[in-house]
Amino acid sequence: MDRLKGLPAFGFVAAAVLVALRLVHLGVPLVFPDARQGPIAVASLDDVRRRVGFAPLVPGYRPESLGVQPAHISVALGPHPTFAIVWSANDHYLSVTQRRGGPKPDHPLMARPLTDVPNSTWWATGSRVHLILERDGFWIAIDTSLGARDLRRFADTLAPY
Amino acid sequence: MIAAPWSAAVLSYAWQVTLHSFVLGTIFYIWTHRVVVPSGRAKRRLLVLVLVLPMLTAAVPGRASLEFAEGAAWANSARLLSIPILAGFRLEHVVFLIAMMAVVLTIGQEILPVLRRPATNGPPPPEPLVALVRSQPGWNNCGVAVYPHESVMMATGGAARRPHLFVSQGALETLSATELEAALAHEHAHWQAGRWFESHALFAVRLLQCYNPVALWVFREYSVEVEIACDAAAVRDRHPRVLARVLLRIYERTDPRDVAARAALRKRVDVLLGGGPADDALPQTTVAMAGAVMALVLPWIV
Repeated sequence: MDRLKGLPAFGFVAAAVLVALRLVHLGVPLVFPDARQGPIAVASLDDVRRRVGFAPLVPGYRPESLGVQPAHISVALGPHPTFAIVWSANDHYLSVTQRRGGPKPDHPLMARPLTDVPNSTWWATGSRVHLILERDGFWIAIDTSLGARDLRRFADTLAPY
Repeated sequence: MIAAPWSAAVLSYAWQVTLHSFVLGTIFYIWTHRVVVPSGRAKRRLLVLVLVLPMLTAAVPGRASLEFAEGAAWANSARLLSIPILAGFRLEHVVFLIAMMAVVLTIGQEILPVLRRPATNGPPPPEPLVALVRSQPGWNNCGVAVYPHESVMMATGGAARRPHLFVSQGALETLSATELEAALAHEHAHWQAGRWFESHALFAVRLLQCYNPVALWVFREYSVEVEIACDAAAVRDRHPRVLARVLLRIYERTDPRDVAARAALRKRVDVLLGGGPADDALPQTTVAMAGAVMALVLPWIV
């Protein structure tokens, strides 16, 4: 037994510290609900699934004026896993944000459903149009400078990457 | 926006090493204060574990994914790092600041002093001292140089097979022959029993963790423990009071503002006069099992 002298005390201390760590792990989101993990810039769409745990939805339809490569891709790990992608070129702009769970993104009172697009809410501010979609537990927000007709095409061609 | 490099593999690994050494250091610190582990071999082994083990556990593959962090892991530090503090700053920014301060401290207090070798343009060393130095086992080619300064200082440097002893003018003028022998025995002990290789290997590990404040603290503790071990080796054939007198002379000439150096000297004298280090305060099996348990547990903390 002398060969193991001090080991029970080690077990007790290690268990206490690990329990404290677990409490911190569980308690932080409760005490700091606004604690955001991100956004974190990622290099490519291939990294998105690995980081946020779901396949990113991107519109298959993309006018050439937006450019080929996205200007920015980012993910946020909390409080709700979120993926965001932005194309920006030639004064044209398209942003798609996909969030798992949480409340419906903010929208003005005058926003209304987009005809023939289920679970949608759209509105315009100046030259920009905005669309919120609910798909399989995800909130998808599309924001573009390209106009309402393109907005519908973006919504219709959303597909997992 | 979290800076993109946070997601880079190297920085992620660096943070994981820091996190694991913090958890391991906390557990070992509380444990050794509960069971009272004085200076000695067991304490050195625990300090080595805190320095080395996190570099291994942080490298366990498959821990970087969100699925693991939010699913299988026991604790996800990303939650803690994302705590907002003030004006858009979060805990991760504080951690980053502390890491930068640790780098500055490492450069200023550890790397530069190593590079800044003492001036050796003093008078030639006394022949009896050179003869005494070269009579030590393995030191037949040891270089000896006098550091022209009134401080009481003796130190060694150089490569493994080409040691070099630096002794200050103040030490030559102040210390008696027996005290000089005791100080020399202490320096010689640094080159015995694999201490030179172990210390240099751990210094390399320490430099790899230059951003890690836990590693900074642990390596300093380890360095004091090595000094204590060398003190013990030096007084094996002589009375501890002789070496204690040398340490007290160094203490008297150390700048009172250098609190850390004076505290280390006081501790060494206390251990010397208190019967020497307690090498068997914890059995080897206990230390090995504690290390094995932590090697299994730490990968689950991300």
